[in-house]
Amino acid sequence: MIDLRSLLLKAGATALTLATTVVAANYVTAHLKNPAAPLHPAVLTVAPSVRQSDVKPVTSTYAS
Amino acid sequence: MRPDRIAEHHFKAMGTTCSVFVEGAAEATLHRAEAQVRGLAARLTRFDPRSELSRFNAAAGGWVAVSPELETLLRESLRAFEMSAGLVNVAVLPAMVAIGYTRTLAAGPTQASASSARSAPQLPDVLQIAIGRARLAPGVGIDLGGIAKGWMADRMCERLGGNALVNLGGDLRARGAGPDGAGWPVGLGGSTVMLDDHAAATSSVLRRRWGEGLHHVIDPRTGWPAASGLAEVSVVTRTAIDAEIVAKAALIAGPELAPAFCAAHAEAWWLRPS
Repeated sequence: MIDLRSLLLKAGATALTLATTVVAANYVTAHLKNPAAPLHPAVLTVAPSVRQSDVKPVTSTYAS
Repeated sequence: MRPDRIAEHHFKAMGTTCSVFVEGAAEATLHRAEAQVRGLAARLTRFDPRSELSRFNAAAGGWVAVSPELETLLRESLRAFEMSAGLVNVAVLPAMVAIGYTRTLAAGPTQASASSARSAPQLPDVLQIAIGRARLAPGVGIDLGGIAKGWMADRMCERLGGNALVNLGGDLRARGAGPDGAGWPVGLGGSTVMLDDHAAATSSVLRRRWGEGLHHVIDPRTGWPAASGLAEVSVVTRTAIDAEIVAKAALIAGPELAPAFCAAHAEAWWLRPS
C-alpha cells in the first residue's frame, strides 16, 4: 500500500514537472518578441554643433 | 513675436506649404523667391507631362538635351544613390505608379493599388550623364521628389543673403544668426533646435498615404512602400539635399542601421519607431 502511494506521488510529481516544462517552453517560444512593442523610445540625438532650446520654433520639418 | 526686421512669406507650391524668412528683405524679394520656386517646380515635376522632367522620362532610351538645373539634379541623384548604398534611388517612379501614386495627393485621394510592385534598377546602370545631355535606359522613369525640394531650398537660401531660412514642404535650409542672434529655432522631432548654417528634413511614412500600407516612401529593393520598423526620421545636416537623403535612407534602412548611418552623416537625428 505504501509502495503504491509512493509510486503515485512520484508519478504525479513527474507529470507535473513535465507539464510545467511543456507549458513554459510553449509560452517562451510564442513570446520571443512582441511585434507590436516599440523597439526603443523615440530619442533626439544632438551633436555639440546643434543646440536645443525652449524657444518657440518659427517653422518645422513637418510638411503640410 | 519675431523682430520686424525679419520678413516672412508663406505660399503653397509643389503640393505643400513653403515658407521663406529673410532678414531685411523687401516684399518684392520674397515674391521673387516664390516665383523662382514655382518656376523650378514646374520644370521638375513628374505630374505635368509638359515639364522638362516628364519629357526626359518620356524620351527614355535616347540622349536628351537637359538644362543645367536638371543636369545638376541628375548628378545629385547619382550621389544620393552612392551615399545611401542604393536606398535613395530616383528610379522608383515605375514602382510608385504601379502602387497607385499617379498624381499629386493635393489633387485628391489617389486610387489605392497594391496589386503589383517592381524593384528599382541600380541607378548608375540606367542613367548616363554628359555635359548638357543625359540618357535613361528604356523603360526607366525617375521622380526627383524630395531631392529636388532639398536642392531648391539650398539654392534659394544661398540667394537670399546671409540671414535667411527657406522651408519647402519640410526640406529646410537656414543661414545666419536667425531672428535674435542665436540661430533659427526650428521644430524637429518634438523639440526645438537652433540652426545657423544648417539644414533639416523629416522623412515619414505617416503622411502622404493613400491606402492600407501605401505611402510615398518606396523601398527601391522591393518596389513596395518601406516597412522598416521606423515611422519617421528627422535629421540636421549642413545642406537640405543631404538632409533629405540621410532622412530617407535612414527611414528605409530601419532601426538597426539608422543610428549608425545618422551618426556618420548628420549632426542631430530623431528616430521614431513604427
